[in-house]
Amino acid sequence: MADMMLSLLLFTPLVGAILALFMAGEKSKYARWVALIFSVIPLAISLVVLTSYDMVAGGTQFLEQYTWIETAFLKMQYILGVDGLSLIMVFLTSILVFLVVLFSWEEKERPNFFFALILGMETGLLGVFMAADYFLFFIFWEVALIPMYFLINIWGGPRRHYAAIKFFIYTHVASLIMLIGIFAMAFGAASILGVSQLNFAFDTISGVGFSSTFQILVFGLLFFGFAVKMPMVPFHTWLPDAHVEAPTAGSVLLAGVMLKMGSYGLIRICLDALPDGAVAWQIPMIIIALVSIIYGALACIAQRDLKKMVAFSSINHMGMVLLGVATLSDVGIAAGAFLMFAHGLITAVLFMVCGITGHNLGTRQIPLLGGLAAKMPNYAAFMMFGFMASLGLPGLVGFVGEFTVLSSFYDWALAEGMVWLIILGLLSLLLTAGYYLWAMQRSIFGPLTDRIDTSKVNDVNIFEGISLAALCGLIALFGIFPALAWDLIFPVASDIAAVLVGVI
Amino acid sequence: MLFIDYAWLIPIIPLAAFLIIGFFGHKTPEGGGYIAIIAAAVSFVLSALVGYEILSGTVAAPYVNDIVWLEMSPGVVLNFGLYIDNLSVLMLIFSSLISTLIFIYSIGYMHDQGERKRRYYTEVSLFLTAMLGLVISSNFLEMFIFWEIVGLCSYLLIGFWGFKHPKGEKASIAAASAAKKAFLVTRMGDVSLLAGLFVLLNAFGSLDFVSLFDPANIAAVDNSTLALGSLLIFGGVIGKSAQFPLHDWLPDAMEGPTTVSALIHAATMVKAGVYLTARSLPLFVQSTDVTLFVAVIGGFTAFYAATMALNNMNIKRVLAYSTLSQLGYMVLALGAAGYMMAASLAAGDVEVDHAMGYTAGTFHMMNHAFFKALLFLGAGSVIHAVGTEDMRQMGGLRKRMSITSITMLIATLAIAGIPLFSGFWSKDLILESVLHVAEGGHGAASAVFLILFVLALVTAFMTAFYMFRLWYMTFGGEEGEASKHCHGESPRSMTYPLVILSGFAALSGFLILFGFADALTFNFVDGAFVVGGHGLSMIEVLEDIFLNPFAYVSIALAVLGFYIAYRMYEVRDIEPGRYNQYGESSLYKLLQKRYYFPEFYNALALKLAYPAAMAVEQVDRKAVDGTVDGIANSITGGSQMLRRIQTGFVQTYAAFVVGGVLLVIVLIYLIGYLTGGL
Amino acid sequence: MIPIEMFLGLSAILFAVGAFGVLTKKNGLVVLMCIEMMLNAANINLVAFSAFFNDVVGQIFVIMTITVAAAEVAVGIAILLNLYKTSGTTDLEDINLLRW
Repeated sequence: MADMMLSLLLFTPLVGAILALFMAGEKSKYARWVALIFSVIPLAISLVVLTSYDMVAGGTQFLEQYTWIETAFLKMQYILGVDGLSLIMVFLTSILVFLVVLFSWEEKERPNFFFALILGMETGLLGVFMAADYFLFFIFWEVALIPMYFLINIWGGPRRHYAAIKFFIYTHVASLIMLIGIFAMAFGAASILGVSQLNFAFDTISGVGFSSTFQILVFGLLFFGFAVKMPMVPFHTWLPDAHVEAPTAGSVLLAGVMLKMGSYGLIRICLDALPDGAVAWQIPMIIIALVSIIYGALACIAQRDLKKMVAFSSINHMGMVLLGVATLSDVGIAAGAFLMFAHGLITAVLFMVCGITGHNLGTRQIPLLGGLAAKMPNYAAFMMFGFMASLGLPGLVGFVGEFTVLSSFYDWALAEGMVWLIILGLLSLLLTAGYYLWAMQRSIFGPLTDRIDTSKVNDVNIFEGISLAALCGLIALFGIFPALAWDLIFPVASDIAAVLVGVI
Repeated sequence: MLFIDYAWLIPIIPLAAFLIIGFFGHKTPEGGGYIAIIAAAVSFVLSALVGYEILSGTVAAPYVNDIVWLEMSPGVVLNFGLYIDNLSVLMLIFSSLISTLIFIYSIGYMHDQGERKRRYYTEVSLFLTAMLGLVISSNFLEMFIFWEIVGLCSYLLIGFWGFKHPKGEKASIAAASAAKKAFLVTRMGDVSLLAGLFVLLNAFGSLDFVSLFDPANIAAVDNSTLALGSLLIFGGVIGKSAQFPLHDWLPDAMEGPTTVSALIHAATMVKAGVYLTARSLPLFVQSTDVTLFVAVIGGFTAFYAATMALNNMNIKRVLAYSTLSQLGYMVLALGAAGYMMAASLAAGDVEVDHAMGYTAGTFHMMNHAFFKALLFLGAGSVIHAVGTEDMRQMGGLRKRMSITSITMLIATLAIAGIPLFSGFWSKDLILESVLHVAEGGHGAASAVFLILFVLALVTAFMTAFYMFRLWYMTFGGEEGEASKHCHGESPRSMTYPLVILSGFAALSGFLILFGFADALTFNFVDGAFVVGGHGLSMIEVLEDIFLNPFAYVSIALAVLGFYIAYRMYEVRDIEPGRYNQYGESSLYKLLQKRYYFPEFYNALALKLAYPAAMAVEQVDRKAVDGTVDGIANSITGGSQMLRRIQTGFVQTYAAFVVGGVLLVIVLIYLIGYLTGGL
Repeated sequence: MIPIEMFLGLSAILFAVGAFGVLTKKNGLVVLMCIEMMLNAANINLVAFSAFFNDVVGQIFVIMTITVAAAEVAVGIAILLNLYKTSGTTDLEDINLLRW
């Protein structure tokens, strides 16, 4: 059983998705129960894996390896394995899917298809984080993409078709370019090893010793694929549209987990397999990160739609993640990874709050809101908690990420003689506080709005309340005891950084 | 058993109260008010016991106890723990004591707030937790965490009436705006402090006070790095303790309930900045420039804020400006003491026997806590009774509210620096320590300190004037419009704290004669470098104060200020309007407009940040997204053109076929001709 | 013996006339007939070459072509008939259902 753990984790949601799909018509009201059961099981398995992971031994554990397609020219394998970084992302995925299912408990429109898509996406997301073979990685990467397209296209807002097709084509083009990079690596590795069989396993490719020029070129291809996914300015414009139109569950998983696929891939593939490329691309990465940070923060200030503001704040925070990773130091990489975990939890709260805003009030336009704290105290409390966590209030998980990222960036900038760059990072903290506080001032404070009808507005319902409270609890837990996650992530980052240090 | 082993409970108890009230407060009487009081009182008792152990020498100071919070990388460990020395003890005791009294007072003051009481007591409990946690933190990061939570609580409490204000919608908008301003302006300082932490963490590889204050470690770090770190940390102080130029949030913060103002000004929040200055002094003193900067900022703020208090009509705002001014005094004193040490260190002389500034600054912090809490609670009592904050509508309340008026008078005497009241002792020590540097022969710096000394003297005069003006406008003279609605003295839960606090405000100054100077001594370099009133006997302190001719100058100025206020607002034979063209002079307007600082901040937000944001938004939609959509559109546009070929007429297709065949034939011949075949 | 160029010339003329008809005639039926003409031009070629090279395969192909062409004409006329029934015309310029 133990050696099948990850496959079990991976395919349980898929089984659930198929089951839920059959709950058509009359039976559709049971689809949510199926979804609940088949999202609790992966959560439980991920917790078991998490607790039984041997932190002393470290490295990749729970390895499963089967040959999938083997010809004279091709060897594709099914290899799953987890290390600290994967584990934390697997945990994030399974907990968010579970809470999203709970949050969407009252979904009325074709619930069977809705929950099937969410569970199907979970398989894709988990697969990305557990795959140890580039081709498998790519397959899951695409598997995760498709359910999101349907979620936006069917359950989305008024401009959903535009947003869905934009999301799909934009990210799909990026993944194809990434695929070119993956093939280039496989061909390159085969030619260096002097074999004719293409092998996509992580182990075969990383450390094969590509030439420096080759690495720089391929890094560019892969980085483009990941930068679109994260997303980084200027490849970000699909994100606000997708978020604004996506249903809440879609937004939560999109921002909470899917964006992290980009930064995860960057750490896992780009940095690990292409260290020379990473060093050569360091300055461009830092520039892109800083631009995204400031650009995202400023764009937030200008937004009138609450959800669009939160969407832009993701760009801001993912820029922070890239900033940490781009320092190429052990602390920086770990900090970036920690922040991406932190942001996953926080942004889920934010999008749930936005979802409740749109659902209960009928609008998310900040100028139309006002004084909601008096009418919806729990909603206001969750919103404030989420915003505070997102602006990096110490004691909550976001602060640890931002502190460590900026600290490692300061170390880097000092060593490179560009200390003043830290000002940009700090400025973003100020701007972040600015747009969140201003949004709160206009939406939950002040006199109760008369621009919309609030007479029949309800506060957060019980299912929404439970999922929000659970997330807030996790945010506080990892904020007060960051070592819980940090100690898992750091060894991975340290190993990767050791390779990079060798290059520098 | 030692109580210090349980010192960690000091912030935990209010934290427990925070959780209990937060979840179950609405089921208990007064929305959990009594739970908050009990928690604060227990914290105070425990603080006092711990304080006794530290001060009596039972436990060697500093008491340090750490657990690992986060191991950032091998060797760089961020701790979470306790660092308790005399300074922490002082902060612990007066913060918890004053908070207890303010909570008791709140029972009466907030009685009619209904369901919102639970939120109030939840937030103030967290406020106290954060403040107590801040002063016993063992490292800068832990302190920063609590520092920010203090900021959060001030945000929540200033915006307490941010929706559903008792005075209507306008007031609630103002409260929400003030809360945002307080958070944002202090966050500017916080960001600077955070940058300071990066500098120190990078230089020292640790943020623990123990290793940062270790002379061996300090010696190993480049002096300019230390100066940069110190300045950035002081940036945090400027934000939190509302020093120029980040002072402007504090007057606006008066939008919160008066008890909150009392908490912010006396027990928590703004005192955190002064505490941080005192705490970080070992780093500051490595550079004369940094300490000089600290002193200049403090001295200037003291003077500058006092001017704005001179003509304000709002009772709480006058008190807010006076807090700014008094905080400036404290920072000035610490800066002066720091400069003395920095100069000695730079000269290689590690024996400074008489830099009283450190003692003076911390002493004034404590005294100020007592009398400022008293002033705010007294003002709250008045506001509670008359329903307005405008002093022009008050007056003559002395008869209707005797307890409030007498306790307020004691506080006024204390802050004005009338001899024997608490403010006198500490203010005099501050003036003396500044003068001491000025006389110390430090060249240009001496001249600067001389100017600061003169500013401080003028401030002392202005303080006496505006405080007695406040007292007379409120309690003296004719009954004003609002005074007629006054329904007598406030309830006992409000007056008892006033009486207790007035005892402290009157008497706490005498502590300097009974060992305070000795206790609040700044030890550095293993006792080889001791600053403050170390080892001074009672007689020596008295000599110090009363044999100094300038002490009498400051007393005379204080009395003069009192006398002018008396003539203007009690006897009313001097008409104040004569000197400001009846509110029309430009200076008067400048002061009323707070030197146009609010306009400056608004311009920063509305003329700089917002247009930049809108520009980014435009670029984003038009240029960046425009390019993306443009690519998509050109592809679809191109295919739109291509599909025109599909005319649907069979014969067109046939023509294409024929044309194509002809083309192929021509090509074959052409290729054949060119390649020489055929 | 008539030289092969004569046959090829006839075939080319026939093919050109047929192609011209296909491209210019409006009536579907006429176009169909023109296509037959082009087919037969090809048939003449096949037969001529068959005789010229003394190889019978060409003539077998012609029979094959004629058979298929017959079937093709049947299908073509059926389509035209149906078109006439539904749209009331066999004019090709009026039939553009597959337009963009």
